[in-house]
Amino acid sequence: MPQHAEKTAIVSIQKVVKEYHLDKVVVPALRGVSLTVRQGDFLSIVGPSGSGKTTLLNLIGCVDTATRGTVMVDGQDTKGLNDRQLTDLRLHTLGFIFQSFNLVPVLSVFQNVEFPLLLQRKFTAAERAQRVDELLKKVGLDKHTQHRPSELSGGQRQRVAIARALVTRPKIVLADEPTANLDSVTGENIIDLMKEMNEEEKTTFIFSTHDAKVMSHANSVIRLADGKIAAGKAAAGRH
Amino acid sequence: MKHWLEGVSQLFLIAFRNLLTHSRRSLLLGGAIAGVTTLLVFLGCLSSGVKATMIESATTVATGHLNIGGFYKVTAGQSAPLVTDYKKIEEIIAKTLPDLDYLTARGRGWARLVSATDSTQVGIAGVDIAHEPRLPKVIKMEEGKLEDLAKPGSILLFESLAQKLKVKTGDSLVFSVLTDRGVNNTVDVRVCGVAKDMGMMTSFNVFIPQETLNQLYQINDSATGAILVYLKNMNHIPRDMDLLRKALTGAGYTVMDREADKVFWQKFDEVNREEWTGQKLDITTWEDEISWAMWGLKGVDGLSYLLTTILLVIIAVGIMNTLWIAIRERTREIGTLRAIGMRRRAVLTMFVMEAFCLGAMGTATGALLGSLLAVILDTLHFPMPPGAEMFLMSTTFHFALDPIRILGGASIITLCCTLVSLIPSFKAARMRPITAMSRVG
Ligand SMILES: Nc1ncnc2c1ncn2[C@@H]1O[C@H](COP(=O)(O)OP(=O)(O)O)[C@@H](O)[C@H]1O
Ligand SMILES: [Mg+2]
Repeated sequence: MPQHAEKTAIVSIQKVVKEYHLDKVVVPALRGVSLTVRQGDFLSIVGPSGSGKTTLLNLIGCVDTATRGTVMVDGQDTKGLNDRQLTDLRLHTLGFIFQSFNLVPVLSVFQNVEFPLLLQRKFTAAERAQRVDELLKKVGLDKHTQHRPSELSGGQRQRVAIARALVTRPKIVLADEPTANLDSVTGENIIDLMKEMNEEEKTTFIFSTHDAKVMSHANSVIRLADGKIAAGKAAAGRH
Repeated sequence: MKHWLEGVSQLFLIAFRNLLTHSRRSLLLGGAIAGVTTLLVFLGCLSSGVKATMIESATTVATGHLNIGGFYKVTAGQSAPLVTDYKKIEEIIAKTLPDLDYLTARGRGWARLVSATDSTQVGIAGVDIAHEPRLPKVIKMEEGKLEDLAKPGSILLFESLAQKLKVKTGDSLVFSVLTDRGVNNTVDVRVCGVAKDMGMMTSFNVFIPQETLNQLYQINDSATGAILVYLKNMNHIPRDMDLLRKALTGAGYTVMDREADKVFWQKFDEVNREEWTGQKLDITTWEDEISWAMWGLKGVDGLSYLLTTILLVIIAVGIMNTLWIAIRERTREIGTLRAIGMRRRAVLTMFVMEAFCLGAMGTATGALLGSLLAVILDTLHFPMPPGAEMFLMSTTFHFALDPIRILGGASIITLCCTLVSLIPSFKAARMRPITAMSRVG
């Protein structure tokens, strides 16, 4: 397995079309996208506003379904899964980082990070605490475990979100413009942190951005324009 | 199980903290819930208090825990509330009931009582005061002596009746009654004492010696109105009733079928219509004998349930509305939790828990306030306004705490709050995880 890890396709998308229906108007958001993401990738999806980045991430994240085409996540065709199965897939296989952090405001930093572990219902309190503490240390928030999200800066909140996304040790972490609400220095730090996690844990990261500085950290880049993949994959090459 | 509990307690924490975060909204709604509970508990305490007063006065004036009464018919169409040769029956009762406290025979009558200035219809209990251990304990004398009731031709009446007839101890009164033979008979009596009122019933009931009553109705001394049976434990009433029925039937007596919630004088019409003559016995409970006076109590209960229901509907609307707002405000949060793997059922639980918390805290506060209010008012002994006296069969406001009733009321209100929250909560649970995603940019 270790030798073949790089070749394993963790996400595979075939001729995906996504249309939104607004009253009687059909808005095509994706118009035939095919794409393979390998385990361990650090993949950036770039493109102008309205090009379909969010839509694509939503399909991979199993929070939405394609109009046509197939979306395979961790070997499962998402079209055949019911809500319960999709929920479990998200819980055990995926991690999410949101543009506006989306932490639970009434829970502490520690509790926010711990939450997915509680949902998984398979760890003791000690195991949970160990994982959470370890991650909070990695993202540099071990001094803030008892703070509420509202007491943190944007960059700190996104670090909490990263910890929350990683705490279940998911195979894939999805991040839709994780730096859009942060200043450029903080944003770059966040991407560095994600990259670090990618290299340490071999977690697959797929994130969207329209910031050129941010995308330069990626080892592969997908360019979307008008619901289609524009140029060929600009692989930044692996080190 | 343990993991499930940890998950649920985290949902509980979220629910609870959200209530605290929106303190104004929570206080308003929780306050309303507390208010309704206060009202329900307060009225419940009033009802329990009235009932307690009624039981006390009824079991003094009108009934034992169980009564062996009956009807004697000389002809088919004419009945008297009599038990003939009652000593034999007393023996059977004493042998049958293991937890008998004591029993006593009392004559029953309904006659016009005439004073120098006024007259009124009264219920008469013909007693043998030497065999009434309960009366000296519960009757408080205003003037005169209870023991003097042993003298033939004496009468004991209660304050409000004495006032109405304008008589004091030592004054003379005349009983006037139409006997079975269709003759108008009178008997002179002298007031041997005036007792303190005990609820409404004492304002139209008097005590005279059994032999004076027999004289009034011209019946012989081997007959009485009813045998009043007092038990050591009132919980045994149903069992003891069965025992007595079997024993008396076995001894050859005809025992009438039970008619719940009917006092003996409500049975005359029916008994007169029946063909039989001779003696039939009738076993009743204290509840049967005072049910006619319970309508006021039922009114209070009905009113409190009606009021509570109306207010609960208003609160239900409030809860739904508040939850709608909360759910709208927290759309992104719900979407996020769904996206990171929270199941629909957990979202449902989270919001239902919020309503449950609010309901439980509101009703707990309300139950406490209502009980406190009742306890304070009870010590003040407020007199009832004249209209309410007759309605509630009591002369002062008496409140009693009935834990089962208070807990029951609080639980039902909490349950209603929780149930009604299911509607918006289901809607929240159906929300799609995509609502967490930002559509900007
Ligand atoms: N829920 C929706 N309903 C209708 N149209 C939508 C919806 N979401 C996205 N779109 C449309 O689909 C297209 C792609 O949007 P999106 O995936 O958000 O692009 P990006 O994230 O790259 O800005 C846009 O034209 C957008 O207006
Ligand atoms: Mg977008």
